[in-house]
Amino acid sequence: MWDSGEGFFGSYYVYWISVFLFIGYGASLVTLYLAGIILARRSIKRTKQRSIFLRAEDIVSATDIPSVTIIAPAYNEGLTIIENVRSLLSMQYPYYELILVNDGSKDDSLEKLIREFDLERQDATFITQPIPTASVKYIYRSRQTKYTHLTVIDKNNGGKADAINAGVNFANTELVIFTDVDCIIEQDAILKMVRPYLEEDDKEIIGCGGGIGIANDSIIKNGILSELRLPSGLIPMHQVVEYIRAFLLGRMAWSEINGLMLISGAFGMYPRKRVIEVGGFNPKTVGEDLELCIRLRMHMEERKIPYKVVYLPETLCWTEAPSDYNILIRQRDRWARGLWETISLHKSLFLNPKYRKMGMLYYPYWLIFEFGAPVVEFLGIICMIAFGIFGWINWSFAILLFFAAYLVGCVFSTIAIFMYIKSFDHYTKPKQIVELLLVAYLEPFLYHPFLLFGQIKGYYKKFFDITSGWGNMTRKGFKVVKK
Amino acid sequence: MNEESILLFIKIVAAVLVIYWVSIAVSLIYRKIRRARLNKIEIAFADIVSRYLYNDPKDPLSLDEIKRRLVKVGIRSRNRNNIQFLIRLMIRTQRTILGRNFSKLQKLYTEIPPYGVSVKKISSWSWYKKARGIREIYEMNQSQYSDEIFKYRDDKNIYVRREAQIALVVFLGWGSLRFLPYLQRNLTLWQQIKIVEKLYDLYPKPELRWLHRAYETEKLFGKKLLMRIIRKYELHDEIGYIIDNLNHEDYEVRETAIYCLKTFAVSSSTMEYIKELYNDIPDATQQGQLLNYIYENSDIDLDFYLKQLYSENEELKLSIAEILWNNGYKEKVQEFYYQQYPKATLNVG
Repeated sequence: MWDSGEGFFGSYYVYWISVFLFIGYGASLVTLYLAGIILARRSIKRTKQRSIFLRAEDIVSATDIPSVTIIAPAYNEGLTIIENVRSLLSMQYPYYELILVNDGSKDDSLEKLIREFDLERQDATFITQPIPTASVKYIYRSRQTKYTHLTVIDKNNGGKADAINAGVNFANTELVIFTDVDCIIEQDAILKMVRPYLEEDDKEIIGCGGGIGIANDSIIKNGILSELRLPSGLIPMHQVVEYIRAFLLGRMAWSEINGLMLISGAFGMYPRKRVIEVGGFNPKTVGEDLELCIRLRMHMEERKIPYKVVYLPETLCWTEAPSDYNILIRQRDRWARGLWETISLHKSLFLNPKYRKMGMLYYPYWLIFEFGAPVVEFLGIICMIAFGIFGWINWSFAILLFFAAYLVGCVFSTIAIFMYIKSFDHYTKPKQIVELLLVAYLEPFLYHPFLLFGQIKGYYKKFFDITSGWGNMTRKGFKVVKK
Repeated sequence: MNEESILLFIKIVAAVLVIYWVSIAVSLIYRKIRRARLNKIEIAFADIVSRYLYNDPKDPLSLDEIKRRLVKVGIRSRNRNNIQFLIRLMIRTQRTILGRNFSKLQKLYTEIPPYGVSVKKISSWSWYKKARGIREIYEMNQSQYSDEIFKYRDDKNIYVRREAQIALVVFLGWGSLRFLPYLQRNLTLWQQIKIVEKLYDLYPKPELRWLHRAYETEKLFGKKLLMRIIRKYELHDEIGYIIDNLNHEDYEVRETAIYCLKTFAVSSSTMEYIKELYNDIPDATQQGQLLNYIYENSDIDLDFYLKQLYSENEELKLSIAEILWNNGYKEKVQEFYYQQYPKATLNVG
């Protein structure tokens, strides 16, 4: 039918089919985002109303609340490990333990920890391993009573997922929190995270996540975020807007209809029992957080146990975002590979009525709009160039359409920023808000193309089976102010 | 779709964008003004309370003056948000004051506005207002409205019924156990915790007759609630109720029983009974938890541990092996190990 590229792209039918497919895809996405705004608004309002009847200060004074273990894997974090552990040890929660898993670090992390917290080596022979992991060498516990809630597991390297699994094996509490050791956690984060578990009624809570914020250039004092500032660099600034949009609109909307398929690996809480039942994190994927959440949901669906995955709108965890394009691209490349791996691992979910809404709605959404978006966008660019060369494009119309799409994007970002400043006190100065808005409006030109490049790079690696791991994520570190 | 329709669409979207810009600006300005207003109310109220409680005979504070000051800072019936803020301040202040001043403060609250705001909320269609109204009533100890509240103790909304149930505890104390273990709808974990905490704060002296009557409940949440009460009040004589639930068929009832049992030390005969129940627990994790309790609260019973070591649960065997190994029975562990893997060498210690 088409004997050459010219014949294909120059075809009238191909042109119009492409136009309708791309516009249809875009329109569906916009409709979903609009629905997302309505759902997120409702979800945030309800979460705020409910929180009045279960305040953090009520929880902290109660004696019967569940104990929690924070599990933080560390690999070559020697530079900041002491500050980070101090931060994780200073949470406001009466019954919690911290398990730091040293995943075969090659630097002096362990020596520093032993020195600073006066750790004593203990035998690890009798550790039960409901989830198989790389072998545990020793367990370390502090001789000082003020650090009794700290345990360091020293194990052979097995990757992040494997390290967390080792922590889950060792924990003996009902609930476990997974976090990255370099994150700054809000002091009352556990109090807020246990809330859904305490209020659990007819549906079991199998996962709870909290908002993640960007804290580049903010001031950290004694392991606590003492002054939140907007990042000085453009790339982390873009990520501030991106995270606000993703967490406040996306996750909250999905949470409202119990459709959450992802709890960020940076900060999430799960019942230990369920994590063990599904065999813990999958060490064979770099998208282990998404994969675990999907597997947990499948597990509950298969057993026909009513369940819920919830998200809290408050920012409970602050992280350092990549500050240059190279690191950003590496991060998005990894995320794209993680998504590819998870989507293909669980392809049996697609339109599978056995998994009800998860199979019929949530998984197809992830496949078509989360996994598919970079592909569609990339194909769109190719088509636009090709159709342009063959003279099919009405440029004045195309420019208008582009401008309309750009404005719609601006509206979504503006709504997200509006909802954020209305709900939280993090960015209250007019200058900060103007900056956030300006950055949001520049995003399609200065930020988004690099994200697309990173994602396509990740897909390319998967498609051509090019082996790649986590990649080196060099960070600048927070601005730490000593006592 | 032509250029004109796209242009129209652009105009609409641009208008939406402008509306949101204005909303952001208004929100910022409103927040600033609101904060200043709330600050004013807070300062005025703190001054009123301190002058009322510690009245200066030379410059007495009259009720009229109090009302005038409150109106001046914006406490008027049309300013609902200000009134709500004042109620919050009143509750917060009341929580921090005890003794004679507490009674004085309650008298003050009956005489100053807002009047009957909380009880009006109870008849609202919104669950949020209704639950808040109930909470305000019990926090302000307005027991005259208890009949209005009690009918919501099994309401379909979890927050409304939860607040009504706490009101039951606040107003009836131990007598609330006549109702609580028999409700139709489930009591969440937090609800159980909150009931126990309130009961303990307000009625620290146990009234066992209510507890004994409540033992008849078959409701699972009722059993869990009663066990938590026994734990909180450290009622050693009632520990039998907890032990009887150790092998209950429901996972969560067993979990609560094991959790509550950990607070108590038991006699050796009771411990023997617990060891008997140990084998009836169908969940290995819970068996492990009970095993820890048995180990920490009794002398080493070699027969019991050896029996478990040769049982079928792999996860438990390791815990038992550790207990025996650390308590002078290395040879027993080695013997077991060699039976399992006759050709291996033990690489421990």
